[in-house]
Amino acid sequence: MKRFTTIILSALLAAGLMSGCADKTERIDIHDDKGDQVMGLDYRDFNQAAAEAVQSMLKSGALDKKSGDRYVLAISRVTNDTMQHIDTDQLIKKIRVELLRSGKVVVTTAVSANGAEDKMSKQARELREDDEFNQRTVQEKGQLIAPDMSLSGKILQRNVRMDDGRQQVEYYFMLSLTEIKTGLAWWEGETIIGKRGSGKSVSW
Amino acid sequence: MRKWIWLVAIVLLFSACADKTSYVKVVDDSIKGDIAIEKISERINSESGLKELQVLGENETDKYMKLRYRVVWFDKDGFEIESIASNWVELPVYKNANFTIHIVAPNKNAVDYRLFINK
Repeated sequence: MKRFTTIILSALLAAGLMSGCADKTERIDIHDDKGDQVMGLDYRDFNQAAAEAVQSMLKSGALDKKSGDRYVLAISRVTNDTMQHIDTDQLIKKIRVELLRSGKVVVTTAVSANGAEDKMSKQARELREDDEFNQRTVQEKGQLIAPDMSLSGKILQRNVRMDDGRQQVEYYFMLSLTEIKTGLAWWEGETIIGKRGSGKSVSW
Repeated sequence: MRKWIWLVAIVLLFSACADKTSYVKVVDDSIKGDIAIEKISERINSESGLKELQVLGENETDKYMKLRYRVVWFDKDGFEIESIASNWVELPVYKNANFTIHIVAPNKNAVDYRLFINK
């Protein structure tokens, strides 16, 4: 019995010590994050790619409408061609927000490559047949605005095994801004982010 | 003649005391002697109507440096404009060479800026 009690107490003591030694979770300071880089993509990489893309678009003049008006932008397909599970909205949302703030562009959520992003624009129009709704408050036909431009792209990953056994991972953020009327790409941009680390690191 | 001298002196005095609303600042003391800011150019792009800022500097050392910069934009009333450009951006600076920072304002309301350069 005494031996059993000793074992239990030792186990509890060890568990207590281990929990005390465990690294504490800390919140990242996203404004000045000096944390170690990871082989995969993190928010710093998306911030950099988005900031570079927006600056490049604004500098190019592709978003300057002659009338001074805003272009209507639709979000087309942005392909994740990496080995990681990435929601490409992590990149596109930042670009959209900044472009909207620029006053040069307004983004439509009624049409995109994957169908309407906000299905309510269409669903609210189905109320036209519903007598329960005041028909004067239902949207008239022909009010939706079709897009002038489309933003599409791809995020690529390329893994390179180095001679010393380390691994190099290259990420390519490639974006195109296409005028829908002509199908011509008025702006194209590429941001490359490269990382080099242990060959044992897994970048997916 | 003396009147004119006084007038010019007063104008100069006032211009020197005026609030410096836009500026470029090297934040870290340890690199203040390493880099020199040679020219700051501003223009309003006639097509976009956006303010553009270009800073020309020089790395006066024999070593490559990876610096960072961030720019904070303000409207005419002095209110900060939220922008992705307020995040730190990497700036490669080659040894004994010039470097350029070229930034476009996030929108037409952005008239003043503070540009911070850090290591």
